[in-house]
Amino acid sequence: MTRIERRNLRNGLLFASPYIIGFLAFTLYPLLMSVYYSFCQYNVISEPIWIGLDNFRELARDNDFWTALYNTLFYTVFSVPLSLAFSVALALLLNQKVKGMSVYRTVFFLPTIVPIVASSVLWLWVLNPEGGLVNGMLKQCIGLEGPGWLASPDWSKPSLVLMSLWSVGGAMVIFLAGLADVPTELYEVAELDGAGPWGKFLNVTLPMITLTILFNLVMGLINSFQYFTQVFVMTGGKGTPDNSTLVYALYLYQNSFVYLKMGYASAMAWMLFMVILGATVAVLISSKRWVHYHGE
Amino acid sequence: MASKPKVRYVAHFWLIAASILFFAPFLWMVSSSLKSEATIIPKTGQPPQWIPHVDKLDAQGRRCVIMNTGPFKGKSGVELEAQEESQHVIDFNGQTVKAWPEDFDVEQVIGFEWENYKTAFGMIDFTNNLRNTLFICVLCVIGTVFSCSTVAYSFARIPWKGRNVCFILVLATMMLPYQVTLIPLFAVYRSLGWVGTFKPLIVPAFFGVPFYIFLLRQFFMTIPQDMSAAARIDGCNEFGIFARIILPLSKPAMATTALFTFLFEWGDFLNPLIYLQDDRQYTLAVALQQFQSSHESAWGPLMAMSTVITIPIVVIFFLTQRTFIQGITMTGLKG
Amino acid sequence: MKTYLFWALGAIACAVALVVLWPQEAQTPEERKALGDRRTIITYWDRHTGHEAEARKALIDEFNALPGNKVYVRTVIIGSRVEKLLTAIAGGAPPDVCSLGSSVLAQLAAQGCFMPIEDEVAKSSYLSQSNFLPHAWSLVSFDGHIWAIPTTTDTYCLLWNKNAFRRAGLDPEVPPKTIKEIEEFAVKLTVKKGGQIEQYGFVPWQPWIQTYMWGGLFGGKWFDEKTMLASCANDPEIIKAFQWVQSFAINPKKSEQLPFAVDPGLTAQNKLGGQYQSANNPFYSGKVAMITEGEWQCTFIPKYAPDLDWGVAPIPQPEGVPPLCFAPECVVDAVPAGSRHPREAWEFLHWFYSPRPGGTSPASDYNFAIHNVPPRRDEAMQDRFISDPKFKVFINELLSKPGIILPPSPAAQYLLDKVENYHEKMTFGWLPAEQAAQEIEDLANTEIRAAWKLSGRKQP
Repeated sequence: MTRIERRNLRNGLLFASPYIIGFLAFTLYPLLMSVYYSFCQYNVISEPIWIGLDNFRELARDNDFWTALYNTLFYTVFSVPLSLAFSVALALLLNQKVKGMSVYRTVFFLPTIVPIVASSVLWLWVLNPEGGLVNGMLKQCIGLEGPGWLASPDWSKPSLVLMSLWSVGGAMVIFLAGLADVPTELYEVAELDGAGPWGKFLNVTLPMITLTILFNLVMGLINSFQYFTQVFVMTGGKGTPDNSTLVYALYLYQNSFVYLKMGYASAMAWMLFMVILGATVAVLISSKRWVHYHGE
Repeated sequence: MASKPKVRYVAHFWLIAASILFFAPFLWMVSSSLKSEATIIPKTGQPPQWIPHVDKLDAQGRRCVIMNTGPFKGKSGVELEAQEESQHVIDFNGQTVKAWPEDFDVEQVIGFEWENYKTAFGMIDFTNNLRNTLFICVLCVIGTVFSCSTVAYSFARIPWKGRNVCFILVLATMMLPYQVTLIPLFAVYRSLGWVGTFKPLIVPAFFGVPFYIFLLRQFFMTIPQDMSAAARIDGCNEFGIFARIILPLSKPAMATTALFTFLFEWGDFLNPLIYLQDDRQYTLAVALQQFQSSHESAWGPLMAMSTVITIPIVVIFFLTQRTFIQGITMTGLKG
Repeated sequence: MKTYLFWALGAIACAVALVVLWPQEAQTPEERKALGDRRTIITYWDRHTGHEAEARKALIDEFNALPGNKVYVRTVIIGSRVEKLLTAIAGGAPPDVCSLGSSVLAQLAAQGCFMPIEDEVAKSSYLSQSNFLPHAWSLVSFDGHIWAIPTTTDTYCLLWNKNAFRRAGLDPEVPPKTIKEIEEFAVKLTVKKGGQIEQYGFVPWQPWIQTYMWGGLFGGKWFDEKTMLASCANDPEIIKAFQWVQSFAINPKKSEQLPFAVDPGLTAQNKLGGQYQSANNPFYSGKVAMITEGEWQCTFIPKYAPDLDWGVAPIPQPEGVPPLCFAPECVVDAVPAGSRHPREAWEFLHWFYSPRPGGTSPASDYNFAIHNVPPRRDEAMQDRFISDPKFKVFINELLSKPGIILPPSPAAQYLLDKVENYHEKMTFGWLPAEQAAQEIEDLANTEIRAAWKLSGRKQP
């Protein structure tokens, strides 16, 4: 090792040391302990008792676990693609160089920065079957008797999806930047070929923003699998009615801090990690087919 | 690309429609926060009221009512104090009748009920919660900006052995769901005696947050290497280059990091929920949730509280819009 | 140069911000004074909020102002969420004394989180078992020890809106006396207007899910008395109760429905719009005509709905079932094992639970202030409690009938949560009652066995 190499190594480690220490203390050690706990019965107060694979066997039998997994998958399957479509649509509209674009952008972006606790309380009130805004407007404008929303097991998950569409502002801004990078010549070429607006969107815009779509898709997946605060606030930590909003992270929280079944919860956490990893890898593999890498 | 006028009109139409949908919940929040307990839940069959109303009172402060049954149907009178067998006594210019509450409506006029804000502030220790929230925010911002920029510098500008492995580690931990470390971390903080203090919320910020390390690294990479080389020839050491050249050039990225950290901590819920126990330690988000769980459906005060905790964020957003949008664009595009 | 200035200013700004924002150990002037007087400050966690917390605070203030008192009690309002207390105790940062619902007492006691209190109880003749109502004492006894002092107890009665009765052509002074009559009255009291229900006659899960109560009142046994394992699966009474509760929920798949059946979603807890402690409470605002409620309504109703004309009667039970009253829980005071000042904590507790010279005990004053029932016979019989004829109905229930309790068990709260869960499965998903009872039992027993194993104690 040359003198410069040694100096670089010393400096590099020195500058990276906060992260390296933090990684060992706040990530690696907890990670290893989490693996250990997932094979134990553990409640933080007493010493862990080794029980082998029992937690995982118990998970397979636990109806609530499967319900929670189903609820999370339902939410993910609907909210992620719909949010993507919705944010692309808004970005496309904003990209028409209309006047007052910054005003619109602000309005669409605002919901994403409202503290989640506040927005959850707000939506709980907006969707209240008695006296809520949505049902009131439905009745007034189209004379329709609105559903129970969060009070009905059939409508509670769609309500959550609806709420998630309200906060597509972040993804929209990213798409907006992606759209700005699409070279205008391509549109001119497409126009010469006689493409209409729809044709231009399908053949030019969409292929050019696939990388951005991939990014938002992966982030959306990771976030929606960890969906927690909204349901916690809106159902008082219970996942009511009829467990229809008992999402995975909420059930995990209940097991860890309400029933102190920390070993069981650790096993759940690892299952969640596997699911997220599986979904992400699947998306990344499939992305080879549909993502167009351009300009790189 | 300049669009045709027709396309622009259509775009405007949809944008306006979407804006109304996006903005309505906010309006509803503010409007509800100014309604009284009696008017916040509309009677069966009545449309939602956007502009808050209050009971109409006469000069002596008595409620004005309109009968909807009986001989005085459609006439307005005033409600007298006296009640007999829970029937209300209503006076029509000297003539009195007894009526059940469902036999009459109280007249309404436009007016704001500020009581909800008083109730909300009375039920939580607002100044203390605000101070706690800001304290956590400020320390986390300092910690995150400081630690992430040094670490990012190491990954972006110092070619050391093992750097790439380390950086992949940073990226990998971004994928790790927080649930995996939630319980062991609780055990760690427990053995350190940190449960019930602010430390579990603040200390980790001083050890680097993968997302911001990544963001800052991407930014530092864009600064030409020649500048470091020139400084090195001038006898500048590594820290000098970092502090005098890289940091001053990276103010936008650092502002983004600071802003995002601030926003995240302002609204963070799970960690304060688990680690803060004394109500004097609560942050605003936890205070709002506690308030909501013990006064479920006290909609007026709840909307007042929500308005209060949202407004600072909205103000900050308006002041820093450019940094914001830039920051988001930066994180998204270089992904 | 400019760069240095920038950083210096930034550092100064941060420092100033931190100094301004530094959380002052949040000591009130009184606490600082108490410290100056070399008094020991202990923390007390109150599970109550609102006016109930204020009532407790007033008594604690009285204690703090006692001349020569070397202990100062600082109250923290923690609310009724179980996990707050659990995380604090499990996290090693417990208070010195805390109030909690008895449903989680055994779960924590089994893990050694509380100190057994027999020795302290023996010091005071006033705290001896014979003074307490039997159900209250059994709620704090577990695994051969006493773990807490019962502070308040509650029971439930049937409340009805007399005006609603008048409008429906029923005698406002005669409440339903049998289960059958509840159903008949519910039909007459259900008022529809334009397709929407304006007034619900009776909903068994209002104001909250009370399926555990109905199981008990129908004569069912939730637990086996010897093994303390759940035993609801093959209990015909519990299954009958489940089916009865279920019959109130609309089943979309069933063509024939009872006339009082309601949408379980719209009538679920807090979904009828109004806040519990306000004039918009569905019972106060006339949305629900009959309801099973606790004795605290004797203060709530005059406060929030002074116009309401209402009556109280025992909750009807099926014929042939011995009369029972429902008193599932007590609020209790316990001293966590990690308490830093257990001696001082006891000084406070002895004061709180013993009569003042020539007067009443602070604990009884507390019950009076919040209109709960004191869990001891002599105090419950005090004039100030029984002089209110409505309150007396509640007290009579507790004094004259055996109480249905949630017996102390490491999985008591878990069972209660599962009953709530399965109540929803039965009313929304129309799960057969037998299957619900079986699954509740299986889940609860797995949980109980696991908790005993983890505690290292011997399971009875």
